[in-house]
Amino acid sequence: MTDNERMIYLDYAASTPVDPGVLEAMTVAMTVDGNYANPSSTHSEGRESIELIARAAGQLAELLHTSPERLVWTSGATESDNLAILGAASYRKDRGRHLVTMRTEHKAVTDPFSELEKQGFDVTWLDPEADGRLDIDRFAGTLRDDTQLVSIMHINNETGVIQDIASLGELCRDRGIVFHVDAAQSCGKLPIDLDALPVDLMSMTAHKFYGPKGIGALYVADRKGVHVEPLLFGGGQQRRLRPGTLPTQQIVGFGATAGVALSRMAKDIAHLTALRDRFWSGIKKIPGVMINGSIDHSFPGIINVSIADIEGESLLLALEPLCVATGSACNSKSQEPSYVLRALGRSDELAQSAIRFSFGRPTTEAEVDTAIELYCSAVTKLRYLAPEHAA
Amino acid sequence: MSTDPYSPRVRALFAQPAHAGTLEGPCRAVVDEQNLRIRLFATLENDRIAALRFKAWACPHVIAAAEAFCTEFEGRPMEELLDFSTSDLMQSLPVPVEKTGRILVLEDAVRSLGSVVRETLNPDSEED
Repeated sequence: MTDNERMIYLDYAASTPVDPGVLEAMTVAMTVDGNYANPSSTHSEGRESIELIARAAGQLAELLHTSPERLVWTSGATESDNLAILGAASYRKDRGRHLVTMRTEHKAVTDPFSELEKQGFDVTWLDPEADGRLDIDRFAGTLRDDTQLVSIMHINNETGVIQDIASLGELCRDRGIVFHVDAAQSCGKLPIDLDALPVDLMSMTAHKFYGPKGIGALYVADRKGVHVEPLLFGGGQQRRLRPGTLPTQQIVGFGATAGVALSRMAKDIAHLTALRDRFWSGIKKIPGVMINGSIDHSFPGIINVSIADIEGESLLLALEPLCVATGSACNSKSQEPSYVLRALGRSDELAQSAIRFSFGRPTTEAEVDTAIELYCSAVTKLRYLAPEHAA
Repeated sequence: MSTDPYSPRVRALFAQPAHAGTLEGPCRAVVDEQNLRIRLFATLENDRIAALRFKAWACPHVIAAAEAFCTEFEGRPMEELLDFSTSDLMQSLPVPVEKTGRILVLEDAVRSLGSVVRETLNPDSEED
């Protein structure tokens, strides 16, 4: 048996396998027998490519309860976040220089805010409560007359904690503040109704919910004062907001991914909830184990656990052949404790011991049971290896 | 080029640390540095190291290095503890250069054990 055969993948928050139906749809837009033409071309083949893209936009719009015209295709959530934050701040810079976000956001959000700080914007960095959630009253207290942009993620990529974007967005809308939501972890996994939600900008990506890598989208609300300046120049595509040849096969894949998600979201959530609860029941008896974030307010596909007196890197190796994450996948080569977990008030040692288990459609109960066994035995081994603290 | 941060030898030593544990007696070293905790234990027989054990709260490379040290030094003259250098282990395991600081904590622990052993055998001797 090879390592690959024994491997148990529990890192679906990092990326997911492409759904077979999605792959099939994509191939139609890639090969000589399909619609491979440049969608900017005016000939018949180009027009067919445009039709495929329009259909995909319709599928994603249906998932999100919005209009296809409100969607801008990007290369992924990182580009969408950059376009939303840098683009909106630039467009609205004369309306105010104050921006608000959380310390627990993904780097794709915190880094653009740091960049804006260097450019002279005043950024308020909010800490979460111990359960990972943002206190609504405390948030309201940070909003000022010159606040022009707020960015809060929907589902945290490390802890799975869900923020109350409806209440946060309402406060922003009342004050004419643009509200951006990073929905990289929630698009296609939780119901999102952009017709009803007070959200102005929303970032998404396909590969987190069984679509291809390399394709994302930014929702831009049709509302006065909501606009983003482009980051790229070089063509007239997408109303000049994001120029460049549209990758038909990627967009078709994203649309098909949205279609699959819409048809089975409730089933997916039930499946993930059963797996997450089974896993936590299996390990919660271990002394010193704790959940990072609130299990009552988190997406069931992600559970992040720390454990006392265990070194994180050794735990990760001892857990093989489980494929899990310490910190976020984008940050996991760093030996620094997760900044997200530190913001939750975890000590360096507890943050460093944290493992994110994330479940997906293909995850089975047997895999979860194996993960429980491996976690328990790894903890036993490493606790035997660990010495007492010096007197 | 391998993308695996752990060599087969590091993996093997980490998976089966046969020298993990403790030994009774006065010959022990305690070092807590760089967010690591290392304990070394030794028993002696005729100026030679009869047995070595270790405990460690550390990354896999340090645990593997501690296991390799214990395996290689059992049976050797106790004086060699004082001259222990991690440079050979760094190359043979190997250990990535960014973890040099961590491995030097093991070196400190071994030399500390050497000093304790020498003091145990010659309680009246003075430090060099």
